Amino acid sequence: MALSRNNLYSILLAASVAGYIWLYYCITSNLSENKTVEVCLIKHATNLPCPSCGSTRSIISITKGNFIEALDLNPIGYVIALIMLIAPVWIIVDLISRNNALFLFFQKIETFIKKPKYAIPLILLVIINWIWNIRKGL
Amino acid sequence: MEAQKVDMFLMSNGKFFESHQMNTVRERLIALDDSKWAMISTIQFKDPTTSLIVSILAGSLGIDRFIIGDSGLGIGKLLTCGGFGIWTIVDWFLISKATREKNMQSLQQFLY
Repeated sequence: MALSRNNLYSILLAASVAGYIWLYYCITSNLSENKTVEVCLIKHATNLPCPSCGSTRSIISITKGNFIEALDLNPIGYVIALIMLIAPVWIIVDLISRNNALFLFFQKIETFIKKPKYAIPLILLVIINWIWNIRKGL
Repeated sequence: MEAQKVDMFLMSNGKFFESHQMNTVRERLIALDDSKWAMISTIQFKDPTTSLIVSILAGSLGIDRFIIGDSGLGIGKLLTCGGFGIWTIVDWFLISKATREKNMQSLQQFLY
């Protein structure tokens, strides 16, 4: 594995912090302008949404308690919300107890999803979600 | 192994590795037993140019990371629209090096 434990933890922590800052920025600016800044390269280039477009809006709906609306916007929002909730806590617990449970878990997941019998259904799910996103016109 | 064989290997596979690794690879290969030659000459390496093209075309979906075997990072890229578009652009410049490092890892299994 190329990724060492500390590398993985710093990447994950930075990603979650960036996610929280982005979420805070979106929620605060959403109240005044009712419009979020779109950062997706694919959407800018092709005018079509990418598989994870709408996940920001989905997470915002989750924070407001509209769980069905969140699922309707983009189910990937739930995955991201789970990672954002669990990852920082797990990393801090690991760092304090000098453990590497999250790293081992990450490696297990990585070998797990490389197997075709899990990879192919997951790829299909992402593609179905993508088609759904395009039809919804996010 | 014979120096001639090793040099032939390095000539045909040189582009798959970092330039600063070449000397170590050469020394290691010369010190290696001849019986491992069949294995080493059949390893499939990943082309840095291919991963660069994939990174430019489909980097926002994380497919470049999936191709070189970093499935975890690939999922991260896929879920976040290519890391808000920033990671995509950063990876245009990092993916060749990452591919070469992955190649070095797959060779290292046989070297040590």
